[in-house]
Amino acid sequence: MMSDKKKMSAGAEELHESLQPGSFKYIWRHLSHDSGAVVGMLCIAAILIICVLSPYIFKYDYSKISMIDKNALPSKEHWFGCDELGRDIMVRVFYGARYTLSIGVLSTAISASVGVALGSIAGYFGGRFDSILMRALDILQAFPQLVLATLVSAVLGPGLDKCIIALAISGIPGFARMMRANILNVRGQEYIEAAKSIDCSTARIITKHVIPNAISPIIVSVCMGIASSGLNASALSFLGLGVQPPEPEWGAMLSSARNLIRQYPHMAIFPGLFIMITVISLNLIGDSLRDALDPKLKD
Amino acid sequence: MSTLIEVKNLKKYFRSPRGTVHAVDNVSFNIEEGKTLGLVGESGCGKSTLGRTIIHLLDPTDGQIFYRGEDVTHPDKAKLSELRHEMQIIFQDPYSSLNPRKTLKETIEEPLILSGKFTAPGALEAESTRIMDLVGIEKRLRMSYPHELDGGRRQRVGIARALALNPKLVVCDEPVSALDVSIQAQILNLLMDLQDEYKLTYLFVTHNLSVVRHISHNIVVMYLGQIVEMCPTDELFEHQYHPYSKALLSAVPTVDIHNQKERIIMKGEITSPIDPKPECRFAQRCPYACERCLHEIPLREIRPGHFVACDRCEEINGLE
Amino acid sequence: MENEKNNKLLEIKDLEVRYRSGGRSVHAVNGVSLSVDRGEILGLVGETGAGKTTIAKSILRILPDHAIQSVSGEIIFDGEDLLKAKNNRMTAIRGYKISMIFQDPMTALNPIMPVNKQIAEGIALHMGVSKREAIERANKMLETVGISSDRGGEYPHQFSGGMKQRVVIAMALACRPDLLLADEPTTALDVTIQAQVLELIANLQKELHTAMILITHDLGVVAGVCDKVAVVYAGEILESGTKEEIFDHPKHPYTKGLFGALPDLSKKVSRLSPIDGLPPDPTNLPPGCPFAPRCPKATDECRQGAIALEALNPDHLCRCIHIDE
Repeated sequence: MMSDKKKMSAGAEELHESLQPGSFKYIWRHLSHDSGAVVGMLCIAAILIICVLSPYIFKYDYSKISMIDKNALPSKEHWFGCDELGRDIMVRVFYGARYTLSIGVLSTAISASVGVALGSIAGYFGGRFDSILMRALDILQAFPQLVLATLVSAVLGPGLDKCIIALAISGIPGFARMMRANILNVRGQEYIEAAKSIDCSTARIITKHVIPNAISPIIVSVCMGIASSGLNASALSFLGLGVQPPEPEWGAMLSSARNLIRQYPHMAIFPGLFIMITVISLNLIGDSLRDALDPKLKD
Repeated sequence: MSTLIEVKNLKKYFRSPRGTVHAVDNVSFNIEEGKTLGLVGESGCGKSTLGRTIIHLLDPTDGQIFYRGEDVTHPDKAKLSELRHEMQIIFQDPYSSLNPRKTLKETIEEPLILSGKFTAPGALEAESTRIMDLVGIEKRLRMSYPHELDGGRRQRVGIARALALNPKLVVCDEPVSALDVSIQAQILNLLMDLQDEYKLTYLFVTHNLSVVRHISHNIVVMYLGQIVEMCPTDELFEHQYHPYSKALLSAVPTVDIHNQKERIIMKGEITSPIDPKPECRFAQRCPYACERCLHEIPLREIRPGHFVACDRCEEINGLE
Repeated sequence: MENEKNNKLLEIKDLEVRYRSGGRSVHAVNGVSLSVDRGEILGLVGETGAGKTTIAKSILRILPDHAIQSVSGEIIFDGEDLLKAKNNRMTAIRGYKISMIFQDPMTALNPIMPVNKQIAEGIALHMGVSKREAIERANKMLETVGISSDRGGEYPHQFSGGMKQRVVIAMALACRPDLLLADEPTTALDVTIQAQVLELIANLQKELHTAMILITHDLGVVAGVCDKVAVVYAGEILESGTKEEIFDHPKHPYTKGLFGALPDLSKKVSRLSPIDGLPPDPTNLPPGCPFAPRCPKATDECRQGAIALEALNPDHLCRCIHIDE
């Protein structure tokens, strides 16, 4: 009887330990129980899979011009129709996902890591570095993000890599500011003082107490950031500054469809639809991730 | 009884855009080992700053701190680490004083791990279990997070963390003011039991005079960074000589409905300790203030062991 | 007509309030009945989460709609059931017939509006006077609470905590309400300021003959100010009566426990007697007496059915079956 009870409680404890908030398993369990996040993840996964497999499943090439199919409406043959050069839009949309998504992921990764590092230093140590950095960011933030990205890529010139750099630079101020604010907030909490009083080293305080409590909004906004910088990448291409034709970036496709939007709306609808699906999916995942990372919402 | 901690002319100033804040200004007192000193005052009087300065969470601006007779005002790194094991703090707000991302076990074990004394297999576990027992936290809660607990339990965790290193001096910074009455009594009893068992010395910072009467052996009353009155607890509750102490005591609501005392209602509110003039800081609100109060008033011994910072003390109280 | 017959201003009968929270229903108020006469001060005492504030907010019908599962019972104010009143009728009552003071004076004032304008807003709305007249009255009200009317044009951040609470009180009393709900009005203030504010409230209450419900966790404040006391625990009134009855002859084990747990300034006891355990979870209340799990006198009978609030004498009600022991 006694040992049974013991075993049970030990089992319960194990379960508890493996499901600590912050652990990967826990986050996964939370995400997989949230219908919004599941829909988001399924959509993103589907796009990724099709985009990787696209050379094998589609019988058309993304750059193959076919004058017969010029401006063709959606049909059995071409599900999404064809563009003004007779290229299959479905193939181009899935092939283009590589560009849009990789621009989103890479530029966000760069701006988040640079921003977090700068913001952490500024927030924890304060002083002159903090004031200089903040003024510099003020200048960068005086421009709307898209305008800044446009400016940078106008200087650097068109192209995939330059587009990524432009978007990364324009994303840094947001992350740096957010991290700094989080750090300032956490730094003032009594548990940081408590850690000091039990003889924690500064390095340990930063890594064990400050950063874990300051980072979760960043993780979430990285998710949202991928969506928005994908969107900005589309906008840059739309302006002719991002990925160059004939590469089928979604924004570039929208851009070339805009002249024919009255007669052949399908050329704009499909790339637009996929931009929308991707952005919504990433936002759903980001939302759910935020809840999963907050131990206060543990059920 | 030996003196555990002695503070001499301690000052702690902060710079602010509006001037220098004299949070703690020329404060001297000592605490005997195993006793409790109650530090009383209203918000902004510098009592929390004083507590944090003594245990080196803040650096003193001027003055000296002696621990067991040794000057520890500006300790080097090794000495500071040693002092951290001797002096601990319990915070007011059990909500913000615990890291929300650490389980109780992690919070309580952290000081033990840092001390490097519990490396033998199982020693850490055994020690943390012992401490949890000591402060009355059920073992089943060790994997819980702070937000899953009520205020009283959280405060017990704060106490456990403070006691983990076996300190001699514990600064209690309003440890019960965020708790409900019935829970408050549980925590006060726990603190008193722990003091008896481990000969702890407390510096008990609070604004609640009833709590201070209950727990302290001696009392220091502070006003705007300075001590205005200092004496044994019972003595203060029998005769308060400083006009501020009188007003403070009379303002505390009592549950005795047949003996509602006459409240001394003070004029105005506590002023700010920014660049204060060299005069009695209470003079602006004091009903007895006159020109004599417009210079620095030192603390003097009116009766054996009873110190008051008031020039007109004898007149006001009819003493000779 | 009815008002002339009795002096009752507010009567709450069997008030029940349930919240929804995370799919569970929170039993915040469970069958509370109480009454307040004109010009009387009732103290509502209890610990955090006992449901004191919910009772006050349901009188004004300002509970957050999205979180409410159900509100039932009757709240009869001046012969009118407020729970059945139309919304526009409530708007007319709020701030005019009944007003409320909240715990935190810092957040109760609009930071970008001069204080006399904030007070005048309510006056102009309910008394139908011109703006200038309303400002004049607001300045007079400031004088009443001890703030020079010269400072009327200043903004909230220019006042200290105690002064802000005075402004809030002036705002609450500007339309001379019949009933004032004061939710922990002095908890955020220092003792000496608390003494000032309590004295002010007591004097104004006498002068204006306003009835008041004072919500507090501090028995000392109740002792100084109130006429009647109701002890609230887990959304139920466990004991109520005149201040003298409750403070001199507390009968309920919980009330006794509260007094025992309180360190008293006037005498030194070597050890406090805390109440063991914790208040019950409002999503999962025990059957029978909610205090039974912590009560030293509890028997099986206490844990079974609901226990009625019985009159020990006309001035003292108690919800306990073991009073005689």
